[in-house]
Parts: sequence; C-alpha cells; structure tokens
Amino acid sequence: MSSNLKLLPILVVLLLPSIPVFISRVSASSENAANLAITQAEETMASAYEAVLEARRARANVSDLLDWLNVAGEHLAEAHMLYRLGDFDGAVYFAGLSSEIGEEVRNSAGELKIKAYESWIADLWSRVIGSFVGVIVVVSGIFVTWQVFKRRYFRQK
Amino acid sequence: MKPMKLDEVRIIFLVAGLTLTLIAASPALSLISLPRSEESFSELWLLGPEHKAENYPFNVSNMTQHRIYVGVGNQLGYAAYYNVSVKFRNQTQQLPNSTTSEPSPLPTLYEFCFVLLDGNMWEAPLIFAIEGNSSLIQNISINGMVFPVNCTSTWDSARNGFYYQMFFELWLYNVTSSRFQYHNRFVGIWLNVTG
Repeated sequence: MSSNLKLLPILVVLLLPSIPVFISRVSASSENAANLAITQAEETMASAYEAVLEARRARANVSDLLDWLNVAGEHLAEAHMLYRLGDFDGAVYFAGLSSEIGEEVRNSAGELKIKAYESWIADLWSRVIGSFVGVIVVVSGIFVTWQVFKRRYFRQK
Repeated sequence: MKPMKLDEVRIIFLVAGLTLTLIAASPALSLISLPRSEESFSELWLLGPEHKAENYPFNVSNMTQHRIYVGVGNQLGYAAYYNVSVKFRNQTQQLPNSTTSEPSPLPTLYEFCFVLLDGNMWEAPLIFAIEGNSSLIQNISINGMVFPVNCTSTWDSARNGFYYQMFFELWLYNVTSSRFQYHNRFVGIWLNVTG
C-alpha cells in the first residue's frame, strides 16, 4: 500500500505533460462537433426556407411557418456568434434547436404546399369551367338577340 | 331622329358581345399573372433610440449603453432570406466596396438571420456598449453578448475626436448557389469615443 502511494507522485509527474494534449483534443473535438452542428443547422434552415418559398408559390398561407422559421434563424445566429466566441457547447445547443425547428418547418411547408396545390387545382377547374360556360351563354345570347333583332329590322323595312 | 343603319347596330352588338365575353371569361383570365414591372430591391436602415431617424448615439464613453434599431424592407417580389452582419472598425479599416459588391473583410460580431415576405419589413433593437478608452476599444457588448475587438484609433484633428464606426451589412441567401451573398447594402454610425 505504502509503495503504491510512493508511486503516485511519479505517475502524476509522468501524466502531467499529457493533460494539455488531452484538453486540446477535447476542445478540438467540441469545436468539430459545433462546426458540424452549425453546418447541419444552416442546411436545414436553407432547405426549410426553400420549402416555404415553394409553399408560398403554391399560394399557401405561410405566415405561421415564417414565424417559426425566424425563431430557427435566431437560434442559428446565436450558434454562429457563440462559435466565434469559443463557446462550442452553447453553439451545439443552439444549432440543434435551430435544426429541430427547421425540420418541423420544412415538413409542415411540404404538407401545406400539397394542400394549397390541391385547392389551387380545384379553384382552377371551377374558374375555367365557369368561364367556359359563361362565354358560351354570352355568345349564344348575343347571337340569338342579333338574329331576332335582324328579323324585326327587316320586317319594319 | 334618323333610324340606325344595320351595320351600325352590328358594331354595337359586336362591342357589347366582346365586353360581355371578357366579363364572363374574367375568372379564368384572372389566373394569368403578369410579370412584375416594378424595380425589385431591399432596404436597410438604422433608427435612433426613439425609433426616429435622429438622436443617433455619437459621443460614447466606456460601458455606457446605447440603443438603436436596425431595419430591413423586402421589395424583391419574393420571400427573402436575409442576414444582417454587425461589424466594427476604426477610420483606416475597410468598409464594404459598393463598386465591386465586396463585403468588408472585417469579422462579423453580432448577426441576425430572418426570412421576410415580399412587401414586409423587419426591425430589431440593438443595445450596445463599448469597453475601453478613446484610443483602444477592447470589447463591444451587443444585446448582452461581449465581443473582443481590440480596435485602436488615433486622434482625428480634422474632426476633433477618436472615431470608430459600427456598420451593418445586408446579405441575401441565393437559392441557385445555396449560399449567402453580400447584397451590396450597408449602413453605419460613427462613434466618437470620449474618456
């Protein structure tokens, strides 16, 4: 037991130089993790934005989705700033939050786009059919009225 | 009154017929969207503490808080994804180059990321304080976050002060290239650091 205790200071002296290496490796790995999390959050945010843009083009109401997307954007900005300040754990946390919200927005935007597209198609058909019937009625009405008028006109002459 | 000729009545019928046909076809015609003819652009502005374009912070001292507002307007014709980068410089450091559309090479301190619908505007408060003295600013705190800047300035005898500038660059996400691009717009405020 006492010999073990005597060995302890020697062990500490031997291991001491490896501590900075260990710390720098931990730091490098958390920097890498933060970098990865931020890249993923940026990609998710961009794809969520593109999905919202498509939903908007399909005439969907995207204002609620935009509110959420902007929350994801705030978290992403926070992650960028914390990364630059060297707070890698904080950066990972906020990038993760941004990714989660971004994914939700992307999925909801996809569903909203399909619904909006379906209702747009239904609206398109009703407008086209309505206009077609309307034009036929107007043209026939004008034609019949013209014929009646012409007959009366020549009768009067 | 002279009675109308048949040809004249025919023209009236034709005009009335065409008008009524256009009215009947209007639901379908409304689906045709004409291309936007207006100029598309983005706006970037700064407002003072009272939300007006006046009383901007100018004479600033160590650890005194100041409030301004930064705003963006989207007139691009589509929902745009913006980034506003906040940067800090002395009189000799580079500003963005408006001719070559290059952003300033200085590092971004604070930033905002947001998506804005066409025709809408966005605004956010920015509370800042500097840490240091007139010739050396060590840190700048923005909305509660402290950023090391270590920025030096020399006495400007022409304008009687130690001048620094906080400026805001507008970046726009490009869907085609899948990255943010400098949108060639920036605004800034000059700060005369006293004490």
